[in-house]
Amino acid sequence: MPKSQLELLVLYQDIQLMLYDAEEQKKMGFQVEGVEDLKIALSEMEETIQTRYIRTYERLKTRYTRPIAPVSKDVCLGCFATQPTSYKARAWSDKQIFTCENCGRILYWIH
Amino acid sequence: MNLNELVGYFKDDLFLPEIKADTKESVLEELVEPLLKNDIIKNKRVILETLKKRETLGSTGIGHGVAIPHCRTLAVSNVQLVVGHSEQGIVYKSMDGEPVHLFFLIVAPPQEKSNLYLPILGKLVEMLRDKDLRKRLQTIHDFNEFVTVFQGG
Repeated sequence: MPKSQLELLVLYQDIQLMLYDAEEQKKMGFQVEGVEDLKIALSEMEETIQTRYIRTYERLKTRYTRPIAPVSKDVCLGCFATQPTSYKARAWSDKQIFTCENCGRILYWIH
Repeated sequence: MNLNELVGYFKDDLFLPEIKADTKESVLEELVEPLLKNDIIKNKRVILETLKKRETLGSTGIGHGVAIPHCRTLAVSNVQLVVGHSEQGIVYKSMDGEPVHLFFLIVAPPQEKSNLYLPILGKLVEMLRDKDLRKRLQTIHDFNEFVTVFQGG
């Protein structure tokens, strides 16, 4: 089970995308009968993520389809702005969630 | 998506000739392991949790001994395909209830520019509807043999 708030937020976004893709996958012949169960899992997750992060996420969602952007080589892949190198080490500590200084998206370091 | 494009996603490093796991949960973990070993992912937690949540939606065991676990996740930066083979078969709660011998794990980033995730998934499903191909794939022992059989050789 993911532990950090950032990991939980990433999972939250992944599940939302999964629900979005469900219809296409149904056409391919996959079982997608558990849409309601997944929606319940999503609301349960909302209770494990701190309210301030959910609020930030939902606010960003009104501007971007995907409020969390991956970071590669210190570059936000949402807007391609370079991020301070000091963010990376601190980002995995679970004490703080970083947002892009340019676009405001929540940042997730993939490596 | 044509066959050659699909085959380009198969990699020797992401091929498991004989899966050791014997449960649905452990097979997902074993399939994710090569991604970690090859530095494609930082840790397994997010990807495993996303894959498990995908199974909540419905089993990715499409029947006839084949499963295609898949998800989009921020945990990867490019589309990745891991192939696993199990001689004895693994109980996977597939659509037809039969054990699974062939696993195709597909993971893709949400922001994927070329949008290949669904075409890859669709092409795999289409190819694996072929009974003869499935039967031949179940007897493979190594990566080269797998690719040759998949390409119809």
